[in-house]
Formats: sequence, C-alpha cells, structure tokens
Amino acid sequence: MTNQSRVREKMAEFLGRPINDLDNHALLADLVVESFMLVEMVIGLQEEFGGRFFVQDDLKDIKTVGDLLMLFEGLVHT
Amino acid sequence: MIDDSENWILSLYRTSEIAGSLFFGRLAKSMKPGPIQRDMTKHFADEAMHSWYWSSCVQEVGGTLIKIKEAYQEQYLAAVGLPANLMEVLAITQVFEKRVIHQYQLHSQSAMVHPAVQKTLATIMIDEKWHIRWIHDALKTMEPEYGPDLIQATLTRYWEADQLVYEKTITEHAERVHYLAAKSGGRMA
Repeated sequence: MTNQSRVREKMAEFLGRPINDLDNHALLADLVVESFMLVEMVIGLQEEFGGRFFVQDDLKDIKTVGDLLMLFEGLVHT
Repeated sequence: MIDDSENWILSLYRTSEIAGSLFFGRLAKSMKPGPIQRDMTKHFADEAMHSWYWSSCVQEVGGTLIKIKEAYQEQYLAAVGLPANLMEVLAITQVFEKRVIHQYQLHSQSAMVHPAVQKTLATIMIDEKWHIRWIHDALKTMEPEYGPDLIQATLTRYWEADQLVYEKTITEHAERVHYLAAKSGGRMA
C-alpha cells in the first residue's frame, strides 16, 4: 500500500466516510460537519503515523484531500 | 427567574462547554496513551459535567435553554486558522481557558447574580484552574520538542487573536453583554 493510500484510508476512518468520497479534488470543508473535525483529523493522522509534522502555516493553503495527501507524502514512513 | 439576556449568556456557556468536551473527547480517542491523553480525558469529562451544570442551573432559575449554533471556540478557529499540532491545540486551549475564567469571574462579581448561578460559576472555576495548570505543565514537557520560543510565540499569537474575538463578540452581542457589564459596574470590556 502506498503512503497516500494509507493516509487516505485513515482519513476515511476519521471522517466516517467511504474512501470513494475522498478523491483528490474533494474539498476538506465539504467533508466535515465543523472545522474542529479537521483539527482532530490532522492531529490524529500525525499521531497515527508517528510524529508531529506540521505547524499552522503548513495548513494555510490546504483546501482539498489531494493537498493534504501531498503534505503527508514523504513524511509517512512505509 | 433570570431575564432573557442572562438566559442567553448561560446557554452560550453551556454550548461552549459541550463543544470543548466533544473536541477533547474525540482528540483523546485518537491520541496515544500517556500523561497528556490522561489529563485530556479528565478535561473533556469536566467540560461535559459543566454543560450539565449549566443545563441544571438554567432549569433551577426558571430559564429556558437556547440552542446556540456557534460555540465561542469556533470563532477562534475562524480568527487564527486551524491549529496543526498538539502544541498549538494546547496553546489555544490555554488562552481560551483563561478567557473563560476571566468571563466567569466577571459574571460572578456582577450584582444580583442568582445564588444558583453563583454556585455554578464557583464550581466550574475550580475545574478551570486545574485545566490551566495541566495544560501549562503539558506545554512545559513539549519544550524540548518545539522549543520554548516557538511555544511562547504561539501563545502570544493566540492571545492577540483572543482579544479580537472577544471584542467582536462584545460588539455583536452588545445588548446582552452590555446588560452584564452594567451589572458588573462596566468591567465587561
């Protein structure tokens, strides 16, 4: 399984959505009921993959599932 | 019996306590076991109890709970953006908890506060002081990882945002908070 597949799978778990909903163009804002869920998911993913990778500035321009996957790419160890 | 303004304020407190509890509850679930997860668990349990205290209090004083759409904390996220790591979450929570204590102190110092409201404020403030302490200690333990300067800079950034959010809230709900300010001798802002 690729890094992106692993992260996408975990994202689907956090959001309680089918993985098919999480294509690269899907807007994160459309996938969550409230913005708190995004915070929980990002921190949960960092916990899951063993590190605290990001600071607030890193998330400034993250709008889509694909954007977030790119951010994790290279940071998640297989 | 409380009036509409105080009824709304108590309902806002209740909504914010629920939001805090749910947020930390879900976050604690996804965290690895350890001291931070342990204390976060107590924190969200406290916040859930606080919402129950406010629900019971409003009932006791003859008010009617109002469903408020947006918790106070959600305005923080709109003002400062999403925190991206646990340190940033704890820093923003530290700022928020201090704001809560400040607000509850103002409320408790108001004239003619119903004894049930006074008792609820006093009970909750004991827990809130512990929240500030455990988060302070947790941020200390993060200094080797993030560096004290970054943690301090993050707290400062959130303090500045807090001022803006508080002022915005006061402006938006001037009629309601003006009432409370009048009760507390104008110390609200």
